[in-house]
Amino acid sequence: MCGSEGPRWGWGHHAPGPTLLLSVLVSAAPLGLLGEETRQVSLEVIPNRLGPPQNLLHIRAVGTSSTLHYVWGTTGPPAALLVATSTPHSTLAVNWSLLLSPEPDGGLTVLPTDSIRFSSALVFTRLFEFDSTNTSEVSAKPPGKPYAPYSLAEFSWNNISDFLDPATLSATFRGHPIHDPTGAFANGSLAFRVQAFPSSGRPAQAPRLLHSADTCQLEVALLGARPRGNRSVFGLEVVTLGQGPDCPSMQEQRSIDDEYAPAVFQLNQLLWGSLPSGFVQWRPVAFSQRQRGRDSALPCRTSTLHPTLEYPLPQSAIVRAFFGSQANFCALNLTFGASTGPGYWDENYLSWSMLLGVGTPPVDSLSPLILGIMAVALGAPGLMLLAGGVFLLLGQKQCSEYQPIN
Amino acid sequence: VSLALRDLPWRHVSESGHVTTFLIELGQCSFFSENIPASRSSTGPMEEDDEEARALLEGGPSEDGRGAPAVPAVPGALPALCDPSRLAHRLLVLLLMCFLGFGSYFCYDNPAALQTQVKRDMQVNTTKFMLLYAWYSWPNVVLCFFGGFLIDRVFGIRWGTIIFSCFVCIGQVIFALGGIFNAFWLMEFGRFVFGVGGESLAVAQNTYAVGWFKGKELNLVFGLQLSMARIGSTVNMNLMGWLYSKVEASLGSAGHTTLGITLMIGGITCILSLICALVLAYLDQRAERILHKAQGKTGEVIKLTDVKDFSLPLWLIFTICVCYYVAVFPFIGLGKVFFTEKFGFSSQEASAINSIVYVISAPMSPIFGLLVDKTGRNIIWVLCAVVTTLAAHIMLAFTLWNPWIAMCLLGLSYSLLACALWPMVAFVVPEHQLGTAYGFMQSIQNLGLAIVSIIAGMILDTRGYLFLEVFFIACVSLSLLAVVLLYVVNRARGGNLNYSARQREEIKLSHAE
Repeated sequence: MCGSEGPRWGWGHHAPGPTLLLSVLVSAAPLGLLGEETRQVSLEVIPNRLGPPQNLLHIRAVGTSSTLHYVWGTTGPPAALLVATSTPHSTLAVNWSLLLSPEPDGGLTVLPTDSIRFSSALVFTRLFEFDSTNTSEVSAKPPGKPYAPYSLAEFSWNNISDFLDPATLSATFRGHPIHDPTGAFANGSLAFRVQAFPSSGRPAQAPRLLHSADTCQLEVALLGARPRGNRSVFGLEVVTLGQGPDCPSMQEQRSIDDEYAPAVFQLNQLLWGSLPSGFVQWRPVAFSQRQRGRDSALPCRTSTLHPTLEYPLPQSAIVRAFFGSQANFCALNLTFGASTGPGYWDENYLSWSMLLGVGTPPVDSLSPLILGIMAVALGAPGLMLLAGGVFLLLGQKQCSEYQPIN
Repeated sequence: VSLALRDLPWRHVSESGHVTTFLIELGQCSFFSENIPASRSSTGPMEEDDEEARALLEGGPSEDGRGAPAVPAVPGALPALCDPSRLAHRLLVLLLMCFLGFGSYFCYDNPAALQTQVKRDMQVNTTKFMLLYAWYSWPNVVLCFFGGFLIDRVFGIRWGTIIFSCFVCIGQVIFALGGIFNAFWLMEFGRFVFGVGGESLAVAQNTYAVGWFKGKELNLVFGLQLSMARIGSTVNMNLMGWLYSKVEASLGSAGHTTLGITLMIGGITCILSLICALVLAYLDQRAERILHKAQGKTGEVIKLTDVKDFSLPLWLIFTICVCYYVAVFPFIGLGKVFFTEKFGFSSQEASAINSIVYVISAPMSPIFGLLVDKTGRNIIWVLCAVVTTLAAHIMLAFTLWNPWIAMCLLGLSYSLLACALWPMVAFVVPEHQLGTAYGFMQSIQNLGLAIVSIIAGMILDTRGYLFLEVFFIACVSLSLLAVVLLYVVNRARGGNLNYSARQREEIKLSHAE
């Protein structure tokens, strides 16, 4: 699946050659030598000179000794490729005639191929809708009677060149079904907003996932689409590349820290191998209002990862072009909301965010404000106790001096 | 004048010579101030009245014939249950007294029990949700000073109780109507009206208790009333969610109507309490006719100008009180979602653990009361309680340990603090200022609760539970600071706050000599 060149799984450390080392020293001096704390990020829409425009977005994040390539495309269902190379000079090569052919294998390559340390892909295949009206169980699976799912391969997407925002390093794919007999998407769309980061930080909007230069954020938003029922719960099918015969592992990390996403104490991760490798990270929360306050937070439920042998998956051209036809896939279902509580019906709005990246997944640490308050809150009475003790000890001494006189 | 033990709140020397303290400092607001003067006035000569009345009842058929023609004059013909001088009758009264407060305690924590439902059905955030608690506290910032006055001088105990019960009932009905009509402002108004009645009803309840049980059983009665209040809160926590789901099932859908109807059903407990108030008023009047018993009075004297004479230790005690309670009650109000989200508890489990503080304090209050009585050294006990609470909050905030540990610690320390802190006021305030001091303490406690409820809701909405817990830790640590300062000030001034029981006894004896 990964080809035969070199170890692609695992974002391992490797001894750089002398020339590479020199170039690192020269080029990285102002950026700091330790790891890839910052990257030079560029967004580029790769034009199709052979025919009608195709959405192929290439995000290149160049660090001192490595490059990350994120390739987003909507030829077929929306999909993302993540390729990490151990050189700052790797490039993406696209063979459009091959890519658009029925057998696109080899249509996309990252050169030089022996610099590839990690590669994987995500495909967003289907949008589910459930009627949760008669489901009182909050944790019911599925969350209600399913409607016919929307296949994202049969969506038409906007021209990504018009929706690039170089200032925020983001781009938005906006799509609606090609065949929409009920007119559900007449005023609505499904949007995939992709954003890359030159350095670590945290967005101002919930769920405020901590990102680093090694990650890229995806925000999926369903807005304005008319639901088919009063209490429609939506879901998303995400397909990823398996690891040999097995599926990648899923982790649910419990945390004590909900400062950045109030009342959410969990972080979900999908890991493509032993750390550090590639990962997908998300908080199990979605939002039903644009403000994304706590009152609009929906629980986001995750199914287990399962092989997708049972039904034919819509093929993403870019994934097929890069990984060939031998790759096996695993699917994951996300459902947003339950029959009770806030839901899509509030404002006909739903948004969910995730991070895609390589290396060690970012981990939240206690904020300086909390540490500061704790230090003062525990320090002040402690000091007072100490001072009081000393004061009393001295006072007692004076007393005892008086006693003999009495 | 000796520093008599009976000056302490709800302190009573029982026949066996044991000194017991029952601390009634219930959830929303303690009703201490009423009790001090009450127990003060209740000791001594009044016990003889009882005997006298019994003698009258037994030996004076003419009395009965004139006063209560319905009651047979012959003592033997009066069943024990109907004879106000008999234990059986008083037990009946006790039952009524316990249920008198049940409604208000049951309904006080309705919002906490239905937190997710209220927020979802009324579409409010946590900040607005916590206003339901704040609106309960606001009227009591003022009413703490006047509850006793209203009962003694304006309404009398019987009418006072009935009026306050009506306020509670009407408040709960308005609260429920706010749900049915989907008007959150109406719910807030309902809580305000409920608050006007709730605290003062507690005052009335205690006045009745003193009026009927001055003498041997008073401590037991206070203890039972306290337990009943806790049971009310606990039943509420565990029942309302279930009730909501039943109403939801019968209506077919969740929504503000479901919420309103659930709250209306919860309001039945208030009607029950109102009926108790009416029956009590009748029985009290009847007993007055038969036994020539005076109408119970709180005996509370409030003089606001006394505030300027309050000493530094008293202000420190106020600080401890406010900073401590604001870290307990708002937390319980917001706790349910915390346990479901952070610890993955089911709704029922979360309700159970959220009510454990009340469950523990019901049996532990008398035990700790006895402990503090036997040992003295109140400041050390307060210090222990505050440190334990601090540890419990730190556990809840920074660990994923089973929260039962932390909540049980919180329940224990909360009960201990109540038993050690409230009596301290009596040590630092002259007797004639006690009413004012306790009224003031309750008033600023309510003020603190109202303000912190709002702040807590805001913090939770924007910063989450960890930050909220850190905020509570900061409050408790401020309280701890005040305890340490109190210890030092007391020590430096040679105050009597931290004497052991034996030292107190010695001082009392030396004064008596």
